[in-house]
Parts: sequence; structure tokens; C-alpha cells
Amino acid sequence: MDSVKIKEYKKGESPFNVVSGHLQAVGAGIKYFVKPQRITLKYPDESMSLPTGYRGMIRLYKDVCIGCTLCAMVCPADAMKMVTDQGKKFPTINYGRCVFCAFCVDICPVDALKETGVHDAAFSNRRELIFNPEKFDQDFDQPPLRPVVRKVKAVIDEDKGIKYVPDTE
Amino acid sequence: MNILFDIRYYILYPSFFAPIILPGLIFTAILLLTTIWFERKAAARVQMRVGPYYASKRLGGYLQLVADALKFVFSEVIVPDGVNPTLFALTPVLVVAMSFLPLAVIPVSVIPPSGSIFSIYFYDFYDPNVGLGVLVGLFTQYNMLLILAIESIYPAMIILMAWSTNNRFAIVGAVRESYLSVSYDVLLLMSTISMALEYHTLDLVKIVQSGVPGILANPLAAVTFFIAMIIGSARFPFDIAEADTELVLGPATEYSGLLFVLTMAGSYVGNFVYALVFTDMFLWGWYPLSGFPGALLTVIKASILVFFSVFLRSVYGRYRLDQALRGSWKYIFPLAIASMFLGLVVGYLWIQ
Ligand code: SF4
Ligand code: SF4
Repeated sequence: MDSVKIKEYKKGESPFNVVSGHLQAVGAGIKYFVKPQRITLKYPDESMSLPTGYRGMIRLYKDVCIGCTLCAMVCPADAMKMVTDQGKKFPTINYGRCVFCAFCVDICPVDALKETGVHDAAFSNRRELIFNPEKFDQDFDQPPLRPVVRKVKAVIDEDKGIKYVPDTE
Repeated sequence: MNILFDIRYYILYPSFFAPIILPGLIFTAILLLTTIWFERKAAARVQMRVGPYYASKRLGGYLQLVADALKFVFSEVIVPDGVNPTLFALTPVLVVAMSFLPLAVIPVSVIPPSGSIFSIYFYDFYDPNVGLGVLVGLFTQYNMLLILAIESIYPAMIILMAWSTNNRFAIVGAVRESYLSVSYDVLLLMSTISMALEYHTLDLVKIVQSGVPGILANPLAAVTFFIAMIIGSARFPFDIAEADTELVLGPATEYSGLLFVLTMAGSYVGNFVYALVFTDMFLWGWYPLSGFPGALLTVIKASILVFFSVFLRSVYGRYRLDQALRGSWKYIFPLAIASMFLGLVVGYLWIQ
């Protein structure tokens, strides 16, 4: 841990330290203003290709599910609820509550739930956020209205932090 | 032909030109949009974001501000229950009017006896202190005091606005504003007085025309005035009265639509007014130039100052009220006293 240096800010010292602190702060701001290090993407034009195992929206395989209700029980956000459909219990999901923790996927004894890589979806009212078993049973995708111009991939850069390089795949 | 000449005569007449066109209404409105755009863009750059962009990609999102302004103009103005509607609608107008008024008395340039488009008005705006005409809406020899006197009505209008909306957040904001306004008005007045003592005048034109920029003559007063300007126009880190994480929007909480735009415009216009005074008093104003180019030089310097003070948003968080008061009374107030002594001593030794 020797390499990590933590800067201590002492209180109540001479006013000159206060002045130099302000100058440093403004200087740092000007440095970033002149040389910005953007880490956000201009989304519909550029989009990030997601890593494998990304926890996106959940989908259900209805014919595999045995209706054990474990997923609804474990859900920390109360997003999963069981409904009875033709005498059989199935989970529904409310994406207004879901925190994408994937506990439900982990706990399912028969692997009836799966994370998909889809995360960019928009809904126009809250009722649409609740997926009943029929809708939950299908692969959900909502491609952007305009095609993505540039696919990029995030890599860790020593100087800059996060850097985006074009995804070649 | 004659009519054209007449129109030109009246448009360029300094009492119209200064308050309406160049530092006044039209220029200030454009500057307002540009400043808010710059504020958002600069904060975005420093905070690793992009900022407004999609409204006009080529202009870097500049039209976003125009779109926002249009949206505000056409959105509904909600008058809360139990307030006096006349006062409610009137106070934002008063706030903006009070912050605009000083623009009529701030000199932005001098008029030489001949050779400038303003030279025909030389005798109407003659300043005996420097022997030149002055490009200003209303000429007085005591403009330093007049500007500060008018601008110090502005916090009173903010407090009136908060009181007339009858909202608890607004009242808390108004109390904070009243604490702050006392502390920054003292600083503004003291640094101005120290400059007046140093240059033996209350006329900004004479300070600029003396040929010595005030920031060299009295750097302490410059620092004091600048900090007081940031506090006075509620820029970060002193946007304590309208702290939006604690007080919704302080005194402007209840306003919506066009009235909200007015309440917001007040502090930006105030910032521009202080920046113009700062430019004249400390940064040499228009000095080597005169006439229209001189006015342009003054407002460009002032605009850069305004841009710098909104840039501070991306650097600072917000002080607590007690921290800001401690800063201004414990650290800046002694600095202001020191600047006054410096002004006295230098002014005594340096008789012009
Ligand atoms: S991912 Fe987490 S929050 Fe969402 S439904 Fe599953 S258990 Fe609940
Ligand atoms: S845990 Fe799996 S099997 Fe049990 S109800 Fe949920 S989805 Fe169906």
C-alpha cells in the first residue's frame, strides 16, 4: 500500500494555505477545461459493446419454470411477483423496481431465468414496465431508432482512466 | 435622407445606445444566453461530460438555450394560493429592473472631440474631469457611488420577492440573502472607497483615463471587489441563497415560466454589472481606445470576467452560510481595511 498516497487536508491552518488551496482548485478546473477528459458517450451515435456476462434485463423460460416462488422471495426490491396463470404459478417482473442484482437468476433451481445483454429500453408509462409471464417469456429488445454509427469498447488506460477504442468485431 | 440621419442620430444617442444596445438590454440578453450556455458547457467539460449538444450539433448545442427560453416563455405561470398576485408578478420584474438600472450610469467608453461616430454628442456628455465626452446613458461625476447605491437595492428586491411568495424555502433563502448582502455590500463599498481615495475621484472615467490600471495601483481592492462580486451575484461557491439542494430554489421557489426566467436573469445581469464596474475600476476599461471600439473592449473584458465567474461552478461546491460569513468577515474584511489604508497612503503620496 506504499504506492497509494492520501492527501490530508488540515483544518485551521494559516490563511495562505487557504489561498493556495483555492488557486489549486481553480487551476485544476482550468486544466480540465483546456484538456477535457470526456468519459461519456454521445449515445445514439456511439454505443458501447457490453462485456459478456453483463447483467441486463431478465428473461423467463416459461416451460422450464416450476413455479417454486424462490425468485419472488429473494428479490430485494420486490420487483418479482408471482401470478397464477392457468393454474400454474409464474413470476412477473416490474422494471420500475428491479435493481438488476440478478439474485433471482442465481437462486432459480432450474435455470428458468437468464440475464440478457439488453439494457437500453424506454417506456412511455409505468404499466409497460410490468412484464407479465407472456411478455417475460420472450426475448426483449428495443434497438435505437437511429442506427448506431460507432461501436466502441472501454479499455483501462493508465493516464486517462477510461478510454474508448473502436470495437472491431 | 434626412430621416435616415435622424434615426441614426437618435439610435446612436448615448442615452439610448448605452442602456438599450451596447452594454444594455440587447447585448445583455445575448450575453445572458451565451453565459448560461458557457456555464453548462464549461461545467460539462470539467466534469467529463459533453453538455448541451443535440439541439444544434454544429454550434455545440448553443440553440439549446434558445429552446429553453422559448419553452419557459410558453409555459404556464402558476400563482400560488394566498399570495398577492400583483406583488407576486411585480417583484421579479423589479428584481431584473434593479439589476439592469446601473447599466445606464456605467461609463463604457469616452468620446473624443472628433473622429468617432459619437463625436456629435461630445458636448452633451462632456466630462470636465478628463476633458472628454463619456459614452454613458446618464452622465454624473459621482457614478461610482450611484452604481453601488442602485445595485444595493437588488438584494432588497430579492427579499421582497421571497416575502411576497409566502413560501418557507423562499423565506429561508431570503434570510440567507440578507446575511450575505450585508457582508458583500460592505466589501464592495470599502474597495470602491479605497479606489476613490487613491485616485481622488468618484468618477470611473477619471480612473480609467488616469492611465494606471487599478489592479496595479491597489491589488488588494481588486481581490476584495472580485470576491464581493461573486458573492453578490450568487455564483458558486456562494449560491447560498438559492441553494437548490437544500432550498429548492430559495427566493425563486414558487416561480414558473417567464417569471422564473426573470428571477434567474437578475443575478446574471448583476454579475455583468459588477464585471463592468470591475473592468472600469481595475482592468483599464477602454483605455487606449475610445468611441465604439473602446466600448467593445470594455464589454469584452467584462464578458470574460462573467465567463470566469460562471466557470467557478465547475470547480467549487457550495459553502455553508456560516463558512461564507466567516470567510467574508474574518479574511476578506481585514483585506478590505488593508486595501483602504493602501489607498489612503498611495493616494496621499501620489497627487494627480
Ligand atoms: S434482478 Fe434483482 S431486483 Fe431484479 S427481479 Fe431479480 S432479484 Fe429482483
Ligand atoms: S425461481 Fe425459477 S423456477 Fe422458481 S418461480 Fe422463479 S423462475 Fe420459476
